[in-house]
Formats: sequence, C-alpha cells, structure tokens
Amino acid sequence: MDWIAMGTGFTLILMGLYGALTNRNILRIIVSFTVADTGVNLVLVAVGYMHGRTAPILDEAVSAAQAVTRIIDPVPQALVLTAIVIGLGVTALMLTYAYKLYEVKGILDISKCKDLKW
Amino acid sequence: MVSPIYIIAGGLGAAFLLGLLPAKWRTFAYGITLATLAFMSWVAGSWLYAFAVNGALPVEIFTAGTQPPFAINLRVGLAEAALALLMTLTGLHAALYMKDTLFKQGRQAMAILLIFIMALCGVVFTRDLFNLFVFMELVMISTGGLVLLSSDQRALGAGIKYLIVSQLISMLMLIGIVFAYHATGTLNIDGMAAAHINLFKGGSLAFFLIFMAVVAELKPFPANGWGLDIYESAHPAFSALFSVATGGATLYAVDKLLLIGGAQWLPMASAIGIVTFIAANLFALVQTNDRRLLGYSSVAQIGLIFTVMGQQDILGERYYFIAGGILLAHAVAKAGLFWLSGLVKQRQLTDWAALRSQPLLVFAFVTFIALLVGLPPFPGFYAKWDLAHLLAADGRLWLLGLILFGALLEAAYLFRWFGYIIKREGSEAGLALQPMKVDATLGAVVVAWLLAYLWGQLSGHGNLLHAIPLLFALLFLPLEWLPAKVKNIMAIAGLVGWFYLSYPSYDAFQLIFAAVMLPGGALILLASFQTQQRRVGFYPAAMLMFAGLSMLIVAKGSFDFFAAWETLTVGSYFLILRGKHSEPHALSYLVFSLGGAFLILAGFALAAQGVMDFQIAALAQVAKPFAPWVFALLAIGFMTKTASVGVHIWLPGAHAEAETDVSPMVSGILLKAGLFGLFVLLMTMGKQQLYGVELTHVMLWIGAISALVGNLLAIFQEDAKRLLAYSSVGQMGYALFGLALMNHLGWLMALMFVINHYIYKSMLFLSVGGVAKRTGTREMYRMGGLITLMPLSFIATLIGIIAVSGVPPLSGFGGRWIFYNAIMTADYRLPMVIIFLAGPIAFLYLFRLIHTVFLGQLKDEFRKIKEAPFWIILPQMIFVAALMVFALVPGVALRKVDVYLSQFFAGNGHLNWEGLTISSDFGYWNPVAIMVIIGVIFSTLFAWLLFVNRKAQPVKQFNIVFAAERPFRPETTHYAWNFFAPYRKALGFLTQPLVTRFWEAVTELLHSAAEVLRRIYTGNGQTYAIHLLAFVVVVYLLWMGGSDGI
Repeated sequence: MDWIAMGTGFTLILMGLYGALTNRNILRIIVSFTVADTGVNLVLVAVGYMHGRTAPILDEAVSAAQAVTRIIDPVPQALVLTAIVIGLGVTALMLTYAYKLYEVKGILDISKCKDLKW
Repeated sequence: MVSPIYIIAGGLGAAFLLGLLPAKWRTFAYGITLATLAFMSWVAGSWLYAFAVNGALPVEIFTAGTQPPFAINLRVGLAEAALALLMTLTGLHAALYMKDTLFKQGRQAMAILLIFIMALCGVVFTRDLFNLFVFMELVMISTGGLVLLSSDQRALGAGIKYLIVSQLISMLMLIGIVFAYHATGTLNIDGMAAAHINLFKGGSLAFFLIFMAVVAELKPFPANGWGLDIYESAHPAFSALFSVATGGATLYAVDKLLLIGGAQWLPMASAIGIVTFIAANLFALVQTNDRRLLGYSSVAQIGLIFTVMGQQDILGERYYFIAGGILLAHAVAKAGLFWLSGLVKQRQLTDWAALRSQPLLVFAFVTFIALLVGLPPFPGFYAKWDLAHLLAADGRLWLLGLILFGALLEAAYLFRWFGYIIKREGSEAGLALQPMKVDATLGAVVVAWLLAYLWGQLSGHGNLLHAIPLLFALLFLPLEWLPAKVKNIMAIAGLVGWFYLSYPSYDAFQLIFAAVMLPGGALILLASFQTQQRRVGFYPAAMLMFAGLSMLIVAKGSFDFFAAWETLTVGSYFLILRGKHSEPHALSYLVFSLGGAFLILAGFALAAQGVMDFQIAALAQVAKPFAPWVFALLAIGFMTKTASVGVHIWLPGAHAEAETDVSPMVSGILLKAGLFGLFVLLMTMGKQQLYGVELTHVMLWIGAISALVGNLLAIFQEDAKRLLAYSSVGQMGYALFGLALMNHLGWLMALMFVINHYIYKSMLFLSVGGVAKRTGTREMYRMGGLITLMPLSFIATLIGIIAVSGVPPLSGFGGRWIFYNAIMTADYRLPMVIIFLAGPIAFLYLFRLIHTVFLGQLKDEFRKIKEAPFWIILPQMIFVAALMVFALVPGVALRKVDVYLSQFFAGNGHLNWEGLTISSDFGYWNPVAIMVIIGVIFSTLFAWLLFVNRKAQPVKQFNIVFAAERPFRPETTHYAWNFFAPYRKALGFLTQPLVTRFWEAVTELLHSAAEVLRRIYTGNGQTYAIHLLAFVVVVYLLWMGGSDGI
C-alpha cells in the first residue's frame, strides 16, 4: 500500500515539475505546482505510514497506554497538514502575482517577463 | 528581562492587530509598526547585552511546556541575540525609510513587514527542523509581498520568478525533512545531530536535500538569477533587508544544519561558497546598474561567509569572530549602500556623481566600501587577517588565493565606482534627499565605526582605533569646515610633533625613513599653503597616508606592519584620486597596491604558520619549505609599491596626474615605503633559493631592467611630469639593484637613494608643477625660454638634475660613488652592464627637461608669466640648501647607518669616515674637496665665457622675419617635440608597452568572460528554476564522485 502512495507521490512531483518547467502560461505553472505539492504531501503521508496500525486518535478504541504499539506516528500527518496550509498560502500569493501581472502588463507568459536580466 | 519569545510574539501579535484596525488609521498603524520593531530590537538588544557583558547562559524556550523532541524548542544565545538585533534594527530603519511607501500601501504592508522580521528571527531561534521550514516559508511569502512595495513595475516579474524558485526549494526541503525524520525519529536539530544522520540508509541523501534547500536561499552561483532580479527592482529598503536580514538568518540556518550533517559536509560548503564569491564578483565587474551591482556584491559576500563556514574545522574559537566580522561588515555596508541608492535618482553608477555635492554622504560611501573590502580599521580587516593566517597554517593555500583574488575583484569595482562619484559629471539635481533616509544612512555609518572599535577590541592584536597617528588623521574629518591654511598648519605641526616625540625611539635605520617621511612630508606640505579655500578631502587623505607611513616604520609585529601598509595605501589612493584626470590612474594604483598588499598578507600568513602575533624579526627563523615562498610573496608585494618593471604601469599616470603638491608626496615619500619593506625583508630573510634560483639574483635583474626601461621610457615623454614619473621607475630600479647586491655598500647606497631621491624628486616635481601651473600645460615643447621669467624654478631644476644624474659635486655623485664601490665587490656582470647603460640614458631625459623647458625660445603666449607662487618655490629652495648640505657632509646622515648596517655583514666592506674624507677598499671620496674643485673649474670657465662674449650683441627673439605657412600640426616642426627621435629609432623596440598590454589583456579577459558568462541569467523564470535543479544535481554528482560511501 504505502509504496503505491509513495510511487504516486513521486510521479505527481515529476509531472508537476515537468508541467511547471515546460508551460509558459503562468496559470498553468501554478496549477502544475499544486500538482507537485500534492505529490509531496502524498510522499510525506506515505513515509509516515506503518502497517497494521490505526489513526493516531486517543479514544475508547485506543487508550493512552496502548498508543505506542497501536497507532501510527502522528508527526508526519501534522507536517502534511501544515504543508497544505502553507501550500495554499503560496498558491494564493502566486495567483495574486499572476493577476497583478495581467493587470499591469497584460501578459501571462513567463517568458515575456525578461526585462530584468544579466 | 523580557523573554526572547516576545520578539516573535510581539511581531506576530502586532501584525494581527494591524489587520483589525480600520484602514484609515494609517498614522496609528505606522506608530504600532515602529513601536513593535523598536520593542523587538530592545528585547534582542537587552539579551545581547546580557550574553556579551554579563555572561548569561543561552536561554531555552520550550513551547507547549514540553521538552523536545515532543515539542518545538527555541534557543537564544549570543549569536542569536546579535543576529536578532541586527535584523530587527534593520527592519526598524527600513520602516522609517519606507515611511511614504508604507503610508501609501496601508496597514497590510506594515503587517507583512512585521511578519517578515518576526519570521527571520524565528529562522534564527528555532531548533526544530520543521519549524525552520515553516519560518522559511513565512519569510518567502512575506518577501513575495514586500517585493511589490517597489515603484518599479519590473518587480512583478522578479517576484514571480522568486516564487517559482521557492516552490522548488520548499519541495526539496519537505521531502528531505520527512526522510530525515524517518531515519532519525526526531525533528529536533540537536537530536538529529546526536543521531548521526549520515550513518542511516538514505540519511545522507535526506540531509543533502534539506541542505540544498537552505543553501539555495543563500543564492549560490549559478542558481541565483532570481535574487539578483529582486535586488535590482525591489524598493531599496527592502533590498537592504533582503541582503542583510535574509542573508544573515539563512546563513545561521545553514550553520545549524551543518551541526546535523557534521564535518564531512564542510568542504562542500566552502566549494559552493568560493565559486559563488568569485563568480558574483566577476559578473559585478561589468555591471552599470547600481542596485544590481550591489546585488552581485551581496551574493558574493554571503558566498564568502559560506566559504568561511566551511572552514570552521580549522578556525576553532576564531570562527565566530571571523564569520561574524565579515557578516556584520557586509550587513552594515550593504544596508547603508542600498539606503544611499534610494537617495540617488538615476540608476547608472555614474549618476552617483551627484553625491559629490554632499561630502557627508561621500564619507558614508567611503565607509561602506571600506567595510566591504575589509580595510583597516573595520571588522573585515581583522577577520581577513585571522582567516588568512588560519588557512595558511593548515596549508589551504588555494582557498586563500581564491579568496584574495575575489576580494581584489570586489575592491576593483567598488573603488571604480568611488572614482565615478568623485570625478564624473554630476549635480545636486541628481539627488532626492529626505531627512529620514539620510538619517538612516548616517546611522549605518555610526554603527560601522562602532563595530570597527568593537572588533579592534576583540581582535587580540591591539585596537587600530587606539593608534594615535590614525586618530590624528581621522581628526581632520570633523574639521573639514576649517580653511585649508589652518588645517595645513595643523598637519605640519602634527608631522613634526610626532617626529619629535618618536625621535628617541628610532634606531639609525628607522631614523632615515622617519626623517624623509615626517619632517620631509611637512616640508612638502609647505607647498600646500598656496591652495585656497577649504580643500575638502585633502587633509584626511594625506594624513591617513602619513599615519600609515609613521606606523609602518615602527611596526614590530606583522599585523601592525600590514595594518600600516593598508592604511597608507588607502590614504595615498584618495590623495592621487584628487588629480583632475587621475580617475583611471588612481584605480590602477589601488588595484596594484591592494594586489601587492594581499601578497604581503599571504606571505606573512605563510610565514606565521598560525602564530597570530608574528614578529617581523621572526621572519629570519622561517623554516625551509616556506621560506623562499614567503620571500617571493613579500618581495613582489613590496615591489608593487616601488613600481618595479612588470608592476610599474600604475606609476606614470598616478604620479603625473596628481596635484602639484601631491606628486612630490607620492613620489618622494610614498615610494620609500616599498623600499622600507624590501629592506626589512632582506635584513631578516637574506638570501633564499627557490628551485635552485637565488631570489636576490632575480631581484638584481628586476632592478637593472627597471632602471633601464624606466629611464628609456622617460626620455621619450612629452609630458614633463610623466618624464619625472618614469624617472622614478628607473631610480627605484637602482635602489632595488643596490639592495639586491646583498653587500654593505649596496645597502648603504640604497639608503642614500632614500634621501637623495626624496630631495631631488620632490624638488623637481614642485618646480615642474609650478611651471605647469603658470603655463597651463605639462607638454615640454609648448614651453621654452622660461629661464629669465622663472629663475628660481630654473635653479631648483638645475640643481635637481645635477643631483639626479650623479655628476659631481652634488650628493647624487656620492650615491654613484658608493654604488660603483658596491658593484666592484659583487660578481654579477650582465645586470651590471645594464645598470651602467641606464646611467647615460638618465642624462638624456634630464637634459631634455632643462633644455626644452627653460632654455631655447620663449613662446609668445608666455611672455608675461611670473615666477611660480611663493609657497611652491619656498620648499624648493629649502631642498636646494638641503642638497648642498647633504653633498658636503653626507656623514651626518650616513655614518650612523653605516655602523648599523655593519651588523648584517660582519663588518665587511663598510666605509671609513675620517674627518671629511670617506674611504673604501677601492678609493676615497672627499665631498668638500670635490665641491671646491668643481666650483673653481665652473667659475673659471664661466668667467672666461663672459670674457670672450663681452662684445656679443644681444638680439631680441623676434629680430628675424618668420615666414611660410603654419603647418597642420605645429609641434611636429618644433625641435623640442619628439626630442630624441633618433634614439627612438634605435632603442624604441625596448619601450614597447608590453607590460601595459599584458595587464590590459588580463583586464579585458576578465571583463569579456564576465560579459559572456553572465548571459546565463536570461531573465526567464523557468531557466532560473532549471538552474536550481541543475545546481542540485551537479553538486550531488560531484559530491558523490568526491566522497565514497555517502
């Protein structure tokens, strides 16, 4: 199971990167990055997964005493949650940039933003 | 004391509060922003005080009340508090500086600024890897927001490129973090360090990804195009933050990461750092946009600190002193320069000439570039010294060489820029002065000097800001408003007074140099009385040079020696730059001199082998494998100052284009610093063989060729001051030759040259300068017949050239006499022939000087000119008297030195001084008798001449008819133009500017390489992303190839 998630995650990362590096349209680049971000998150979850264990929630089903042997490590999941939030922020910021860029210059083509170079 | 967590909590809380305020309460919001930043600075400052002064222990902050690794912990110690203070203060100044922009953009912009500073403090404080990621993402997002504060629309493009690259960075980091966690079971940095991540399967790769992600934020070459675009287009106050605060915090994050990785990752850090340092400085050479140049310089400096970081295994306890010194110097200088750039309206480097109308801002600029280049007394200087010594002690000479090369490139473009400010066209209209912005900049200047003092205290070498000569020179800065004449009196009094005070402590050898440099300098300063008004900039520069000289001759340790050397180099550079057309020449002087200084630094570092307070006298004990290399490095370093052939090309322009009273100073006095260094070197190290070649023999050849080439070039000059300048190359060649003879008389003759050359070259430069002042030209063929109009200048020149040419009866003859005696005892035939050949050539240019300027036909336009100004004539007349006295009783100066030198040659070959007669193994010399005989012969011939010419009829100059047409280039028909054409035909091939061409080719090569290579920064955001990926892959492959098993 976990290797499927891991494999899918890395595939998504590569797909996302490919998209981000080959598309010139800034909106497509942003979408590609969200694909890659999803891949990263998937990899994070897959790394933290442990066979035959349950979700890290302490309730009637799993008592605190049994937790060490029965639940999976909650840290990677916490990391993923944080990473998703941050990813949202970054995506929003990039979209804002795309919007401003279109508003000011009327372009969405990254290869036309070359007035700064060398 | 308030817990340091409030630095973060305060920033965060205030940012949220700003979000709740009504949009119209701008002043209130701005007040909150300033108050919060001030509060954060205060907390950081109070902790810094506690750590540094009270010796408090680092504070651990446990969030959620739990110990790590179950909760995030932060740590604040000395380094963290210092960085936090740096970042919050820069933030506070940025907020002040951007007041207009922040008011326009409203509370959101202010909140983002607070978040930015808060997040950077978090990056520094946190001890948790994932928390580090979160803070770095916060920095990145707020950077994205702050870039938009710029009024430059291109910032939009820069911002989006930055975001694309940051996406890649965060992916690398996240994947790295999760695998590192998987391998070690903790996210705590110290816990991970204890777990030895490299031992786990995949652990190295995981660490590599994290490391690369953070390193990428340092803008390593070539994955740094995005950073440069931001520097160029963002608001200057933000660029300052981006360079200072982001750079500092990220460097500290890398330092923490290296704890996890361990020592095996250090070489990689140094490799990436040094490549970045050199590449960025190289590319900066061809920049014309000021902010992009500052961006390149920022990238370079951070690369340098990263290099230092990679050397922490050998730096030991000096690590934080060195890295911190460079970092703080970079931070203050870069913040100051970016803030200055906000005061200049246009973006070309040459537009900065507008600054010239504000001397205070020029001083600020000088402070900043001196900080960056690491000149004394700033922290970078001490750091450079320690770094060089520790690197050399461990045999990491390649790295040392590369660092010094990069530093030289940086000095070259920064001082070229300074030349633009001083020399290019500019008016006050090019400035946009706002009191708040000016205050921020001047605040940085104050901090710079405070840091200079602090680092001097910490250095363990003695604080340069305690050196009285240096303080005396700096004293002239606040006194610039006084009239020049008052300052001149002070300067003369200072030089003479310092000589008087130090007199008892000089030995015979030091006394000769001290007499030439201090009272000698005062004598030349008499000529400065003829300048009017305030003469801003002259006295601090001149006194800086004299301070360096006076510190040089008494220096016991190599550190003091080197500090004095750099001080006099910088002072003389500012002095030379004052000439009307001297911009390129001053730059070439500085580059050669700093290059020479770096060789000297390397030489001392190699000799010291880790001993920080190395004594000059200990050069004598340097062991075999290093000794010849130390000798060669030091000798070449000193020879850049004496302008020996090969490194002489700066001299003619620098000396000829300098002001009238500056030329004698830099020629008559400054050149002696090089001779002093060579003397000290030979006295301590003596003869050294490198690959079987006797190095003093090489010096002998260099001296002989310098004498020949210098003299040859001098005879073909049309410009009188250039003629004298080239003559100095030749004269210094003689002195070098004498030194390299390695016998008693050779050294005595070199010492005699120190005095002689000072007197006659100062005198000639002054008289030629006076003539040039009256005639308005330095071209000799435009002059002529001035003997009757400027008789005193003529007498000075006549006496001067008699002395230079070494014919009896003046002291030049004494020099020659000792010289020929010295040669008799040495056994090098061929260089001897060359040096003999150079003698008559000297006679040719001297003849030309007096003939074409003072004899012959008077030009019509000069019919009414007067004698040179009194204050220029006065020192010349004193020099004439001095020459006469020195010619009659050379023993006054030389006798003691003769005894002093005996210790080096076991008494062999010294002279016998009996009464007025001086005798050697080969003959005797009685100066008084010679003077009398020559006097009798001269007066007899003169009387006879008057007698036979008694019936001659004086004819007026225009008593003949001039006819024919005016030729196209009148000078071609003038006898004085191309005076020695036949000699040029015969010997011209020897004067091909081969050396000039060589150095021009080197410069050209560097510039075209930069021009071509910097095109990798295409401006396309996707290309930059590919650069980053390629960088990671290439580093990985090289790393894998370089170390097995990781």
